[in-house]
Order: sequence, then structure tokens, then C-alpha cells
Amino acid sequence: MSLRLKIISGFIILAVMLFAAGALSIYEMTNIGHSVQALLDENYKSINAAKNMIEALEREDSGVLLLLSGEWERGRSTIEDANKTFQTALDVAKNNITIPGEAAYVETIIQSYENYRSYWNQPIVKTAKEKNLSWYFNQVHLAFLEAKTQVNRLMTLNAETLYNTASSLKNRAGRAIMPGVVAIISALIFTAVFNFFINLYFISPIKKLILGIRDYTRTGKRSGFRVNSTDEIGELAKAIEELSVYQQETGQGQ
Amino acid sequence: MRPEIVMRYLGFILLFNALFMFIASVISLMQAESSFYALIYSATVAFLFGIFPLLFVPSTPKITNQEGLVIVVFGWLLSCLVGILPYVLWGGPFSFTNAWFESVSGFTTTGSSILSDIESVPKGLLFWRASTHWLGGVGIIVFVLAVMPSIGSAAMVLYRSEISALAMDNFRYRTQKTLMIILCVYVGLTALETIMLLSVGVSLFDAITHSFATIATGGFSTKNTSIAYFNSPVVESIIMIFMLLSGIHFGLLFLFVTGTFKKLYESSMVRYYIVAILLGVTLVAAMLHGGTYQRLTEALRYSAFQVISIGTSTGFANADSSIWPTLSQLVLLFFTLQCACAGSTSGGIKVDRIVLFGKALQRRIMNLRHPKGVFVIKVDGTTIDDQGVESALVYILLYLGILLASMLCITAFGVDLLTAFSGVAAAMGNVGPGFGSVGSMNNYGNLSDPVKWVLTIDMLLGRLEIYALILFTTIRQWK
Repeated sequence: MSLRLKIISGFIILAVMLFAAGALSIYEMTNIGHSVQALLDENYKSINAAKNMIEALEREDSGVLLLLSGEWERGRSTIEDANKTFQTALDVAKNNITIPGEAAYVETIIQSYENYRSYWNQPIVKTAKEKNLSWYFNQVHLAFLEAKTQVNRLMTLNAETLYNTASSLKNRAGRAIMPGVVAIISALIFTAVFNFFINLYFISPIKKLILGIRDYTRTGKRSGFRVNSTDEIGELAKAIEELSVYQQETGQGQ
Repeated sequence: MRPEIVMRYLGFILLFNALFMFIASVISLMQAESSFYALIYSATVAFLFGIFPLLFVPSTPKITNQEGLVIVVFGWLLSCLVGILPYVLWGGPFSFTNAWFESVSGFTTTGSSILSDIESVPKGLLFWRASTHWLGGVGIIVFVLAVMPSIGSAAMVLYRSEISALAMDNFRYRTQKTLMIILCVYVGLTALETIMLLSVGVSLFDAITHSFATIATGGFSTKNTSIAYFNSPVVESIIMIFMLLSGIHFGLLFLFVTGTFKKLYESSMVRYYIVAILLGVTLVAAMLHGGTYQRLTEALRYSAFQVISIGTSTGFANADSSIWPTLSQLVLLFFTLQCACAGSTSGGIKVDRIVLFGKALQRRIMNLRHPKGVFVIKVDGTTIDDQGVESALVYILLYLGILLASMLCITAFGVDLLTAFSGVAAAMGNVGPGFGSVGSMNNYGNLSDPVKWVLTIDMLLGRLEIYALILFTTIRQWK
């Protein structure tokens, strides 16, 4: 193999190693980016929706209390606004089912909310239910708590998944660094090996040739030109030896 | 010593590692697994490092003893180092220490694992894990030389460093031929076991990986519950037969395959090995029957598998032996120390040295009875000189000394005595499972990092048979 090919092969290997490390790191980083986006899309949306549902439920509860105290207009308006908010948040949760078992949680929320709604959907003001606190505490409030518990369960499920995914992302971030670390260590070792070979197969023979030429010019001995190489340095050694032979034969040497 | 020649041979070793990493990456790609990039990058790094010295250093037919030893020791260390790349790049439970432990355990054919949930690891990575066993089993050096026809006398030097000296005395061949014999038997047994496992319904992937681990007497399974997962006496029987065969000198197996049955029967090492295993199975089965297992067939099934698995230094499991009676655990511990025949892929003190120890003891007793008598030790008609006997006895002492020192070291990190003793014995014998918290159904993942490092040193000492490492450390003083 020629000198040029040997040197080029060293640099090509180094370049391939760095390119592969870079490509792998970019791939991992891109993946992490996608995962963060997915994390926000999948879990954060559901958590936010659950928070809105809880807030809406609490407002509906206040509305029911207003109806119980005979304030029909304020009570109805509060309940209707809260119901709209709840339905919007529920739609978000329904359209963002990404975790195993999440669909069942949403279904339970729908059922418990329907049950709760059935209490305040019917007239309260100017009926026997008005100012009937025992009806409220024994039926309405229990249905409210049940609906709230179900929404909380959905929020907990998404929060746990969010935490686990974030933890695995931390691990993946560490993994994304690894190709770079491996490339740095490999490049350092490779440089040392490359340097060793350059010294052994290029520098040393050239030094040997220089000493051989100096020896020849001083003493006329041609023994220092032998280099164990088949590349250009070996050719050079041969050429110098041939030159010295020619010089001696034509009497131009010492 | 010529470092460039050492680098050339290490290059071959890295290329073989790269080849198996590449196959693993293809499996990963086919399964669309996350480990693909880790495996292909590792293969690229190993390939580039492997090919580079071959471009510069011309082929050399002659290498010195020193160079041979350096190639062997560095070959193992380098393989273990390169072997960690797929693990650390993939991540998961693999910290640097865990990856080093798994890699050393693989290449030394120990089979101890830090993984608690093996089945969650991608198949490509599991294939690489099994490959480390297969590559390490026959010794990467021997493997490389056997398929490199133009190496000439270099093969002899490397072979001397790689194969146990006892195995060399027992069985003589021209080196190149011996290497080819080892390779033929190794590949043949692996193929045969794979076919047999396939024929009884084991999937191709599981058949190959379990065959790799069996023939290399490794013990890495692709299942959390090892062989117990299959819950099949047929699968267990096939694996038992191949474990037993892998514990015999590969040269003798070759003779057996080619029709010279007598040689196998005549070998006193093989006779002792078989008798010891049979005795072990009977003893353990007797202790298990009526207690742990009510039916005799059950007691025999589990005792046979566990005794053969430990006695050949494989380390597969079909039951949790850490809950067995203490005496049966002691029998298994004896096999953890002894292991199988020299010239096989098993670790431990080896049957050959135990036989020599027995004969030396016999001679000592004869000497006491007849002080003026001259008694020679013979194995299969060959006289073993005093140097050979002394070497075997010193090896046993050294082995037990290192075992004790490692055990003390590990207990200093808070590991209980049973776990420490059995863990170190299993690491040095390249067996895999011990007792206590590192039992056959547990793993080494819960041990602290310093303990894992001590155990990996023990694995390497056991695999390189101590002497090789001692010679390596004194290489500068050689003449």
C-alpha cells in the first residue's frame, strides 16, 4: 500500500468515527426533542384538562349551593358556565387517550359526571329541595365528590406517566452524550496508534536513510540504505542504493 | 517485543467482535429496536480499530512467546472493553460498571448478569450478549487462528498461552490441526443443539442464543427465569446433554465423533468427571426427595439439571437452588470449585487438577507407608513429572487463596458470607450463579460497584487460569 493511501486511510477512519458519533448524537437528540414534544402533547394536555374539570366541578358545586339558597339566576349562570368548561376539558381528555387504561378512566368520569349532573339538571328553586341541606349532603355532595375523585385519578395517572417519561428522558439524554464520549476516547486512542505507526513506518525509516546517507558520504559504506518497506520509502531507499552503486561504479563517489 | 505485531493480531480479534456486533445490529434492525444504532455504531468503531493495524503492519509468520502472551491477555481485555460499547450506548440499566460486568461475564463465559428484567432488553442486544459467550468460549485467539490459514508457527505460541497446560499434556496434535478440531467440534455442537432445540418447539432466536451459551458453558439466558421458563423436561434434557458434552476435552469429543470411542472411555479424567457428576446428582436428589420435591422424578430432574449446569460451569437454572437444603448447596459449591475437564470451555480448578491432587495424595500416603519406595504418578499411562504435579497443586492453593482474599474484600463492602463465598467461587470458576442474594433466580445488579469490579477481576483470573496473568505481569523479566 502506498504512503498516500496509508495516511488517507488513517484520516478517513478518524473522519468516519467522528461522523458516526455525530450522526448518532444528532439522532438521539432529535429523538429526545420529539419525546419532549410528545410528553407535552400527551400528558401535560390531559393534566391541564383534568385541572379544568376539577375547577369546573367546584364551580358547579357553588352553583348548586346558590340554587339551594334560592338564587336561581346566579346559580344557573354559574352552573352553565362551569358545565361548558367541563365539557370542553372532557373533550380534550377524550381526544388525548395515550396511556394504557386511560380510556377506562375517562369513561368513569363521564358516568360519574352524568350522575352528578342529574341532581342539578332538574329544578331546585321553589321545590322541596330548596334549602334542603340533608338532600345536598347525602346525595348531591357525594356525587360531586365521586366525580372529583375520578378526575383526580385521571390526573394522577397522567402525572405519574409524565414523571416516568421525564425520568427515561434523563436517561436518554445521558445516552445521547455517550457516542460523543466514545468518539473522543476512540479518537484519542486512534491518534496515539496513528502516531505510533507514522513514527514506525515513516519517520524511523527516513531517519535511518538519513543516517545511512551520512554514513555513506563519510565512509563509503552502502549498508545503511536497507528499509523493510514496500511503499514509497522502500522505493526511495532502493533508489538511493542504486545511486550509490552508480556513483561507485562511475567513480563519482568517494 | 514488537507492539505493531501485537496490534495486528488484536486487529483480527476486533474484526471478529465487529462481525458479531453487525449481525446483532441486523437482528435489531429487523425487530425495529432501539438498540440498532448502539450496535451499528459499536460495530463501526470495532471494525475501524480492527482494520487499521492490518493496513499498516505486514503479515508476520513468527511471533515470540512474550508477544503471544500479550496478544492473549490484551485480546481478552480489549474484547471485554469493546464489548461494553453496545451496552453503554443503549443505556437502560447499563451504567459503565454494569456494562463492564456484563461484558466480562460474557467473554469469560461466566454468565452472571446484572439484569433483573432480561426480557425487556432488545433482541439485538441479547444476541450480542450471547455472542460474547460464544466468542469467549473457545477463546477468541484460538478462534481467530483456526480460521487464519497463513499464520504458521505464530499459531503455536498463541495456542500455548490460551489453552490450559494440562490440556496440552493430555492431548497432542499439530497446533493448526488442533485448532481446526476445536473449531469443528465447537461449531458442530452449536449447530446440533440449535437444530435439536428447534425441533422441540423453541424459537430460532432462543435456540441459537441458548446454544451459544450452552456450548460456551456460559449461562446467559434470554429469559428472566432461565431454562425454567420453558418448563419442559425435553428442552432441559437436550441442554443437559450438551452441557455435559461441552465439559469434556474438545479433542476427545472430536475423536468420539470420528469413531474412536475407546479414547473417550479410556480417559481417566472423563471417567472421573462423569462419575463425580452422577454421584452429585444422586446425592442432591436424595436430599431433595421428600422435602423440596415430593416425587423422585421431580427431585432427579431438578438435581440433574442443576448439578450438570454448575458442574460444567454453565450456570443455567431450572429451579431456585438457593432455597434447597444446605447440604445440597454444599455439593453444588464443590462443583462450583471443581468444574469440568481441561481442554473444554469450562472454568474452575478443573477435573484434571483434582485428579492429580488425588493421585498426589495417594502417593504421599504410599510414601508414608514405604519411606524408601519410589512412586510415580501416571495419568492414562503417561507419567506426570514432579513439576507438573507441583504446578497443579500450587494452582489449587493459589486459586483458593485468591478466592479467600476476594471473599474478604467483598465482605468488607457489607455482603453476607454465603453470597460473598459463593459469588466469588462462581466468578472465579466462570460458573455464574451462586447462593444467597446471587442465587440461580437472582442477579448481581444489587451489589455495589466495587464488589462488581472485584468479581470481574476474579472472572478474568479464572478464565486466564491465573498463571497467564502472573506471567503477563512479569513479562519484562523474561529472558
